[in-house]
Amino acid sequence: MSAADRARDALSRLVDASATERILISTAALVLSILIGAVLVLVAGRMTTCTAGEAVYYLGMGFCYDPVVVFDRLFLGALGDPFSGSWSPNGQFAVTLRETTLLIFTGLSVALAFRAGIFNIGTQGQMVVGALATALGVLWASSLVSGALGTVVLIPFGLLVGAVFGGLYGAVPGLLKAYADANEVITTIMLNFIATGVALYLVSGIFKDPESAANQTVPLPEFAQFPALLFGGRQDFSIVALAFGLLAIAALYYVLEHTAFGYDVRTSGVQPEAAEYGGVDAKRTVVASLTLSGALGGIAGAMYVMMVLGTFQTGIPSYGFDGITVSILAGNNPLGVGIAALLFGVLKSGTTVVQFATDVPPQLVGVLRGLIILFVAMPEFFRLMARGLPGTGSKSKAVATDGGTAGDRGGETDE
Amino acid sequence: MSDTPTDRDDTDTATENADSESFFERYTTRALVAGVTVAAVIALLLAGMLFPDSLAGTLSDALTSRNTLASALRLSVPIAFAALGGIFAEKSGVINIGLEGLLIISAFSAIYVADITGGVWIGFAGGVVASTLLAALFAVVTIGFRADQIIAGLAVWLIALGLAPFASQVIYGSPNTPTVATTNSITVPVLADLPFFGALFSASPSVYMLFAAVFGSWYVFERTAFGRWIRASGENPKALDTAGVSVTRVRYAAVLISGVLAGMGGAALSLDLGQFTGNGPTMVNGKGFIAIVAYLFGNYNPVGAFFSTMLFAGLDAVQTVLQLQGIGIPRQLIRITPFVVVIIVLALVGRTQLPEAAGEHYETED
Repeated sequence: MSAADRARDALSRLVDASATERILISTAALVLSILIGAVLVLVAGRMTTCTAGEAVYYLGMGFCYDPVVVFDRLFLGALGDPFSGSWSPNGQFAVTLRETTLLIFTGLSVALAFRAGIFNIGTQGQMVVGALATALGVLWASSLVSGALGTVVLIPFGLLVGAVFGGLYGAVPGLLKAYADANEVITTIMLNFIATGVALYLVSGIFKDPESAANQTVPLPEFAQFPALLFGGRQDFSIVALAFGLLAIAALYYVLEHTAFGYDVRTSGVQPEAAEYGGVDAKRTVVASLTLSGALGGIAGAMYVMMVLGTFQTGIPSYGFDGITVSILAGNNPLGVGIAALLFGVLKSGTTVVQFATDVPPQLVGVLRGLIILFVAMPEFFRLMARGLPGTGSKSKAVATDGGTAGDRGGETDE
Repeated sequence: MSDTPTDRDDTDTATENADSESFFERYTTRALVAGVTVAAVIALLLAGMLFPDSLAGTLSDALTSRNTLASALRLSVPIAFAALGGIFAEKSGVINIGLEGLLIISAFSAIYVADITGGVWIGFAGGVVASTLLAALFAVVTIGFRADQIIAGLAVWLIALGLAPFASQVIYGSPNTPTVATTNSITVPVLADLPFFGALFSASPSVYMLFAAVFGSWYVFERTAFGRWIRASGENPKALDTAGVSVTRVRYAAVLISGVLAGMGGAALSLDLGQFTGNGPTMVNGKGFIAIVAYLFGNYNPVGAFFSTMLFAGLDAVQTVLQLQGIGIPRQLIRITPFVVVIIVLALVGRTQLPEAAGEHYETED
């Protein structure tokens, strides 16, 4: 009884959550998280110490941090202050796009697995593995070619190495799930710890750059890194990488919507029982989607090495966990991932500006990351609020124009 | 980990008849793993007695050392408390994957409160309160607003992972807090002088609280009406509803209890060291997730969960001892052994007897 009921329940909920409603919920979740973030900034401003001159006053109370300044810096700062007249192509906007590029790949990685009904919390570990493999592979290959030809050859090669190793690492939890029934949430989280530990061991030992005090590999030559075209070179951003990201969005969209494999993935995500009954090889789909998901995480790692750092260093920022937020915010739709990655890229890049201007710790973005996931996960809450406030629909118009196909498909949260 | 090859064979047979597998077969797998572990330990101890100078000798020295038991107990406190909490929530039908977050938030809050009040036990209470509040939020979101339990649990983890270092940075100017006073250990005279087992009688108060919590949880599930309600709420909520007990209230209570228990674990973790460290994955470092595997392996039984926690913690304790004796395995690799073992255990245990209605929302028909 329960299987059929659950399937029907899942279907009816999918129909309920139309595209517009999804976009509304994501927008509302984002706005609400930012509001709570503002409250948090105020509370934090009460708990820290500052001189009377630095404090701002609301309702007769003094606060060390001013949320208005914080959010002004967070958004306008992240866009490189477009209204100040001093907008520079090498400014903060390039940082925002750099973050966006990386988040596109980790977001797509999580989204693909989600669509197959799998929680891939291991994008972070897959990214670490892909990054290390790329740093070592490209370093080896860079002795064979050089110059402009080197760039043309080495960048695709590096991306391929990252994808292959990330994919293999993603296949591990896939195989464990398919053939040993091991829950992928736990195994992927454990594999994150293992990837970080092994990478630290390798990079502090045999692969360590002898000339550096940090735990890092020998830096890649300039020609083996993404070229800075047009703008953003000083902020380690390359528009070529962003173009790869947009290409990946289109490719994943096509694969999911227009290929037999994509059909298998989507039906396994929405209705595993029906998919298996309809001839989908469930085990193969699990392994394949986690492998592909890992490959996307690995590419994120390759991008990080070849665009941002130019080497592999331990302590890779948590783009993998941010990818969960991006994917959930996007309703696990590849097209939505592009927009969500930009929004979250603004948040990430903005927090560094905020820290510079106000001393509010950059960990704020970590809190927002969790809050956004929490709110998107509870559509019921917003349905109740919407019933209470009839006028809520108007503010989301601007967002609704893109990603119009966002919601009518998508296994999302219902196993 | 000399028994790995045996374990592998076992997985293969387990997957071959995956379709026909019953609770009984799974139970056998679990018993087999436990049996193999015990046999390996005994073999090691014998080898150690026969050849005291070999590696086996060093290992068996490490295993029988009183310090090993003492540190295994200490290391198991946060994991076992969180595991007990996870049992309460999951038996009631709510999968609480946010245990890691509860540990993080309570570890930080305990230090913060202890720091401002100067009282270790007030700090402990502060940690428990913080964790319970976060668990209450999780309960409202999953039970009240019917959010997906796994996603909401991940959100709880990520919120705590951001919030604790954020707060520490705001208050102390660093993700790591300054140190506060710690509790003294409680020593039972005479018994504490026993070889090996003496460690059981000279330990920090949190270890005794853990013993009490394990027994208390076992008692609640086996002997009280409330324990039966929790089980029914996870296995057959409709029957519970028909019997006139509110499923929603039982689930709220169970999730709050999981918050209290995880809070005790997190507070004990940080107060034991007198400091909260918030870099990277914080000082909790995956203990909440290990706890989930511990209670799965312990088949949702509080005592079973305690013993499987001791397995993980014991391994951790042995590796610390080995490190001190300079056995030639790199430190960074030794550190990942608990995570590898978790994956192996999970692969062996595979699909557990999840409560029938776990992960599903229950609609009261009014």
